[in-house]
Amino acid sequence: MKILAIMKKELQSFFYSPVAYIVFASFLMIVGYLFWVILISSRMASLEPMLYNAAFILLLASPVLTMRLVSEEKKSRTIELLLTSPISPAEIIAGKFLACFTLYLVLILLTVQYPLVLSAYSTEFDMGPVYSGYIGLVLLGAAFISMGLFASTLTENQIIAAMVSFGGLVLFWIFGWAKHAFDNAFGQILGNLSIFDRYAEFLRGIVDSGNVIFFVVFTLTWLFLATRVLESDRWR
Amino acid sequence: MLQEVILSMIEMTNITKFYDNFRALNNINLKVEKGEIIGLLGPNGAGKTTAMRILTCFIPATSGSVSVAGYDVFEDSLEVRRRLGYLPETPPLYPEMTVGSYLNFIGELRELPAGKRRERINYVAERIGLADWLNRVIGTLSKGYRQRVGLAQALLHNPEVLILDEPTVGLDPSQIIEIRGLVKDLARDHTIILSTHILPEVSMTCGRVVIINEGEIVAVDSVANLEKAAAGKPAWNICIRPAAGKDWRQLVEKHAGAAISDLVEMPETHHFKLNLEKAEDFDDLFRNLTGAGHVLREITPVKATLEDVFLKLTSAEERKEAA
Repeated sequence: MKILAIMKKELQSFFYSPVAYIVFASFLMIVGYLFWVILISSRMASLEPMLYNAAFILLLASPVLTMRLVSEEKKSRTIELLLTSPISPAEIIAGKFLACFTLYLVLILLTVQYPLVLSAYSTEFDMGPVYSGYIGLVLLGAAFISMGLFASTLTENQIIAAMVSFGGLVLFWIFGWAKHAFDNAFGQILGNLSIFDRYAEFLRGIVDSGNVIFFVVFTLTWLFLATRVLESDRWR
Repeated sequence: MLQEVILSMIEMTNITKFYDNFRALNNINLKVEKGEIIGLLGPNGAGKTTAMRILTCFIPATSGSVSVAGYDVFEDSLEVRRRLGYLPETPPLYPEMTVGSYLNFIGELRELPAGKRRERINYVAERIGLADWLNRVIGTLSKGYRQRVGLAQALLHNPEVLILDEPTVGLDPSQIIEIRGLVKDLARDHTIILSTHILPEVSMTCGRVVIINEGEIVAVDSVANLEKAAAGKPAWNICIRPAAGKDWRQLVEKHAGAAISDLVEMPETHHFKLNLEKAEDFDDLFRNLTGAGHVLREITPVKATLEDVFLKLTSAEERKEAA
C-alpha cells in the first residue's frame, strides 16, 4: 500500500529530526504544569480546564509538526520523485496526514495519566466529560493537522507554512466572537465556523453529531484543497 | 489479419512548452526506439530538463503530445510513470534516511512486493557500488555517492525507460567511467535518454545525439555522422624531429594549400598542426620530409569532435537568426 509507505516514511523522519521530541517534551511539560496548578488552586476533580488549555497549546504546536510535511519536499526537490512515481497526490496527502495524525494521537495518549489519577483519588469524578473531551481533542487534532498540511503545500518555506496555518487556526478559533459582535445571520454563520465553540461543547460532555460532522468535513475540506494544490503544481 | 501498430518507445510530437511568456521548447519532434541510448545535448538553459520533465509527467507540455511505451503521458500518466525511472538534476534524496531504508521506500512507491524489493535493492546496490553503504545515512554521503543513490533509485524497479538528467555530474573520473559502462550495459533491455553538457560523454555512450539549443532541436544523428558533417579540411597533429641544419618548414610550405599552425618548438622536436586542401597531398609531403632526413615521430589525424559539431550547429543557428 503506497499510502502506508508514505506514512511510514513520514513517521520515520519525524523521529529522525529533533522537532517531534521537542514538541512532545514542551507539550507534556506545559500540560503537566497546568494539571498541577489547576488542581491545587481549584481543589476540584475536573479535567475540563486542563483539556481546554491543552487544546490551545496544541493549536500552537501543531503548525510546527505540519509545516515541513510538503514544503520540505518542495525545497529539497524530492517532490519531483513523488510526482513522477506511480502514486497520486491524494495518496501522498493521505499518507502524510495519517503520519502526523498518528503522532498527534500518541501525544494525546501521553496525557491520559491525568484523568486516571483523578479517577483513582477522587470519590465523585465523572468520566463522561473525559471521554467526550478526548473525542473532541482527537477531532480537533485532525482539523489542526489538515489545515497545517494544506498550508505546507502552498510554499517551500517552512516558516511561511507554519505562520499560514497558525493564522488560519487562530482565526477559526476566534470566529465565535462574531456571535457577540453581530446579532444577525452573519454573526451566526461565523459563530458556526468556530472550532473553539464546537470543541467547548465536547468538554461539557456533549457529543453532538453536528459537531462531529463539522470536524470531519472541516478536515476533509483542507485535505482536498491540499491535494488540489499539489496537483496544480504540475500546471505551473 | 490484424496489423499491429508498433509504436516507438518514446514519441514526442510537436512539443512546445511556455513558462509564462518564455518559450522553453519549440515544436520538438523525437522518436526513440526500444534499446536506444539517446543523448540530449545542449548548453545550460537549452531546454533539456524541461523536455525530460515533460516525458516524466512532472510538468505538462503547452501543446503537442508525448507517448511512452504506447501510453500518453497526459491520459495514462500512471501507466507511464510505472514504466519510467527518473534521475532528476538534483538527486531526490531524504538526507535523514539510510541508503537502505530510502531504497526500500522507493521500492514501496514502485509497487515492488517485499521479497522482490530486497532482491532488487541488493542487486542494484551491487551494480552501482553501494553494497557496503546501505546502512549509511544519506546526509553524510559525498556528492558522488549521493548521485549513485539517485541512480539506484531510478533503476530499482527495472523500468523500461530510463530518463537520466546529467547522470555523471559530481562524480570523479573513475566513477564516471563506471557509470558510463553501467549505462551502456543497461541499454540492452532499457531505453535510455540522458542529458549532458559534457560532450565526450555522449560520444562514449550514446547511439544517437539530439542537440538542443534555445528550445529547438538543431540536429539528430549518430555521433559518427555528426562528426563527419562537421569535419572541414583534413588536418594532422604532427611531431617532427628535424634533420640537423635543414629547415622542414620550407618543404611543407612548398605544397599548395598547406598551412602550419600551433607550432611549438622543443629542443629536440617540433610540434605543429598541419592543414591541407586534400588528404592525398599528405603522401607527397610525407615522402619529401622523410627524404630530406626529417623524422616524423607522431602523426595523428585531427577529427572533428562533438565540440566542433556543437559550436558549428549552434553558431549556424545564430547566424540564421541574425540574417
